[in-house]
Formats: sequence, structure tokens, C-alpha cells
Amino acid sequence: MSSRILPNFDLLVPNSTSEAVNLLAHYQERAAILAGGTDLIVAMKMNYESEILISVSELDGLDYIDFDPNSGLHIGAKATVSQILDNADVKQHYPALWQAANVFATPQIRTAATLAGNVLRGSPAGDCSCALLALGARIVLQSTEGKREVAIEDFWTGYNQNARKPSELAIEIIVDAPQSATGSAFHRMTRVNEDLAKLNGSVRLDMDGNVCKSARIAMGCVGPTTLRLPKTEKLLQNEEITPELLAHVADMVPTEISPIDDKRSTAEYRLMVSGVVIKRLIEQAATAAN
Amino acid sequence: MKERAIELTVNGIALNITVPVHQTLLDTLREQLGFTDTKYGCGTGECGACSVIIDDQESLCSCMALASTLNGRSITTAAGLASNGLNAVQQAFIDQTAVQCGYCTPGMVVKSTSLLRKNPNPSEEEIRKELEGNICRCTGYDSIVKAVQQAAQSFPESDTQWDNAVELKAGANS
Ligand SMILES: Cc1cc2nc3c(=O)[nH]c(=O)nc-3n(C[C@H](O)[C@H](O)[C@H](O)COP(=O)(O)OP(=O)(O)OC[C@H]3O[C@@H](n4cnc5c(N)ncnc54)[C@H](O)[C@@H]3O)c2cc1C
Ligand code: FES
Ligand code: FES
Repeated sequence: MSSRILPNFDLLVPNSTSEAVNLLAHYQERAAILAGGTDLIVAMKMNYESEILISVSELDGLDYIDFDPNSGLHIGAKATVSQILDNADVKQHYPALWQAANVFATPQIRTAATLAGNVLRGSPAGDCSCALLALGARIVLQSTEGKREVAIEDFWTGYNQNARKPSELAIEIIVDAPQSATGSAFHRMTRVNEDLAKLNGSVRLDMDGNVCKSARIAMGCVGPTTLRLPKTEKLLQNEEITPELLAHVADMVPTEISPIDDKRSTAEYRLMVSGVVIKRLIEQAATAAN
Repeated sequence: MKERAIELTVNGIALNITVPVHQTLLDTLREQLGFTDTKYGCGTGECGACSVIIDDQESLCSCMALASTLNGRSITTAAGLASNGLNAVQQAFIDQTAVQCGYCTPGMVVKSTSLLRKNPNPSEEEIRKELEGNICRCTGYDSIVKAVQQAAQSFPESDTQWDNAVELKAGANS
């Protein structure tokens, strides 16, 4: 282990998606994909080794962020967190994602870190990942066999485990277009700003006046993956948002999470604050919707 | 491949170099090219001592980037900002005594220049937020913030300053 010198590997730098998936089909588990490297390079300096790295740096045309009012938001696998932060459509239509990008790491890291890398890493503390779960994003995976779309809640299957096959390259993240009264919000708790979260949460509400038509709620650092809170979501469905309802919500949230003690916080603290965090996010998302 | 031939523009000079594929940009700059102004602090993206400017505007931790994947990109270090006399940020760091041991300073100067190129009129809050990734053990940050505020008065950089930088690069590329 060295924070300076990386272990040896073979580097491959394909120019196109088709070249990349051919390489993956051939090398399978022997190869790891390198995007911004902000997770992978740190892991390699600690203990991780891969015989082959396939860099996305010269893949053509995957650095787009396109918004269309019908088909929604399309984020290419090379788009960085810094690009998300600079994107006016994201700021306007997907505030939860923008707010996550705004507190994400440091400017130097945001220049390199990709959104796709954040989802593929699948850390339960991932900030953009948490917002994407609340927003109902899908990830597009490509191999020589073709393309498939996986809903993000089905993608993370356990701690450090996901549904990607070794032959697949993530090429795009899609978030549906907001409805006429959709609002969303993200919040994270840290000791100092540049820390990873001790707890994060995100809420998306489809509203009709003060009535919540449907809700998606995500919380991170409280389980092996970022979690959805289905019982809490159900409490909100077709209900008017009142202080009484929010009090019920705040009681329900801790029953749906299973935090542990670790270096960033304790299970007890996380259980105590979780309800309030979601209550405030609902208020914020409802305001954003109207 | 274990080594890769790349084109990299460093401080306005276009270079064709061959780098070991597992070499970080930080080591390429310091060990291979001699730009020792870029510092090694933590090696894991936490301290900002290794900050460089990529493609004239954004900042990047050179300890986390592989030079072999930066083919065709342009890198500016603190030394490169002084190729035409000290830039406004560097002068302001001197004027405001925003330097004690100096280890964080090249990274601070690079990051502050990147910040002012993107936002020539930052508030104090914006300056502190943008400098979050640069740790200083000595100054307590106030003098650094003052230096950035002083330098902001000279941003956006004058056309001549940009032209010089661009000409230098064009000359080097030809
Ligand atoms: C100092 C520091 C601070 C940080 N702060 C935060 C923070 O505040 N919040 C947060 O959420 N994260 C944070 N991170 C973690 C990290 O920056 C993110 O997870 C980042 O989004 C990863 O993206 P990347 O492009 O760097 O991915 P990489 O490190 O290149 O890759 C990450 C994983 O994704 C896989 N992968 C990447 N692209 C693809 C693809 N197209 N197809 C298939 N697999 C792929 C890689 O193989 C690897 O397993 C921080 C990291 C550092 C070093
Ligand atoms: S040495 Fe790169 S961030 Fe510390
Ligand atoms: S001046 Fe010593 S670390 Fe900043």
C-alpha cells in the first residue's frame, strides 16, 4: 500500500463504445473500467488490484447532459459532477440532483468524478446516487449482446454489489421528465463540509396543490445500500401535507432503516435525526413543486 | 500497454512524452518533467497541494489522475501562471502575507486562479467554498481569502494576459 505509487496494470484506451464492449467481452472480470478514478485510484493505492484497466477517457461522445421535456434527462457516462453543477436544466428541473452535486466533495474532485462512477461505486454514502434514487433514475448498460435499462433501486443488490455483468459498460443515466408539479430536494449531514455524509436523504414529490399524489424517498448511510423508504412513501400517497402527517412520517422513517456505528456517526444518532431530515425534505420538495 | 505515448501541453508547451501507464500526473510533472512546484500532500484527493488547472479553467488533483489518460489535454501549474511575471493571485498572496510555510501555496494559487477565471466576482462565502479542497496548516485561511479578494480586482484577466498565454501555447504547438 502506498498513497503515491500505484500497482502495475495494463491500460487499454478504446475510442468508441463498440470497441470498449468488445474489450469487455474478451477480458470480462480481468478488466476494470476507469472513469474519473476518484474511487478507483484511491482503492488501488489502498489494496485493490486489477490486471487490466479500460479507460473511458477517449470514448467518443459520452460527456453529454441533455434535457428534453418529454424524454427527460439523459446523462452520458463521462459527464462529471462539475458539469451537473453548471447545468441550468438540472438546477431548474431536478433540484435534488443539483443540490447533491453542490455539496459533493471538492471542486478538484468534481472536475474528475463522473455521475456514472458514483452510481457504479454504489457506496451507501453516495450523494448523487441518493438523489438519483429519489428521482427514479435508470442506468443503461451496454454489452456486445445489446443494451438494457435497469432501475437504480434494482441495480444495487448489496454492499459493494450491483447488477452489472463483467461484460457491460454503463453508457447513460436517464431520469424521467418532471410532471407539472414535481418537486425534489436533497440534504446531507457532515461534520465538516468536505467530509463524506454521516447521513443523506432525498425526496421527490408529485403534488396536486397541497396533496401529495406520489412520493419517492431515499436515505443513505443507514444500510448496505442507499435505501428507499416504501412505508413512509405510502403514508404520503394521496394525502394532504399537514403538520400531523409530517409527525407520522418522522416516526415512521427510523423503522425503515438499519444504521450501524462507524467512524462517521453512530446508529443511535442516525436513528434520531432521520425522521427530521425527511420531514424537512418533504417541506422543501413540496415548496419546490408549487 | 504498460507505457503510452501522449501529447500533453504543460504550462503552454506542447510535449510528446511517453509515460508509464500507472504514473500519476503528479509524478509526471515532478519526476519526469521537473515541475516540482506541484506538491505531494496526501495522495488521495483530500488536501489540494497537488492541484493543477486543466484546459485553462477547471482545477484537478494531479495525485488522482493518470497522465496516460490525459492525452491531448492542457495542464497549468503554479509555475506556468508566472511565465509572464507573477499573475494577480500570486502577487496578492505576497501582498496579503497569505503564505507561511508555503507548502499549500502552489495549490492555493492554482485553485484561486481557476476560481477567478470561472467567477471573477466571488463573494467571501463562494471563495471559502471553492477553496474547501485546499488545506492549509499555517495561515488560518483569512489572509488567503483576502488575497483572493484583492486578486479579484484584476479579474477577468486582461485580454493581453490571455493572449499571451494563448500565443505562448500556439508557438509551442507549432
Ligand atoms: C476526496 C474525495 C471526496 C469525495 N467526496 C464525495 C462526496 O462528497 N460524495 C460522494 O458521493 N462521493 C464522494 N467521493 C467519491 C467519488 O468521488 C465518487 O464516487 C465519484 O462519483 C466516482 O466517479 P469516478 O468517475 O471518479 O469513478 P471511478 O473511480 O473511475 O470508478 C468508480 C467505479 O465505477 C466503475 N465505473 C465507472 N464508470 C463506469 C462505466 N461507464 N461503466 C461501468 N463501470 C464504471 C469503475 O469500474 C469503479 O468500480 C469522494 C472521493 C474523494 C477522493
Ligand atoms: S496530494 Fe493530491 S489532494 Fe493531497
Ligand atoms: S502556508 Fe503552510 S500549509 Fe499553508
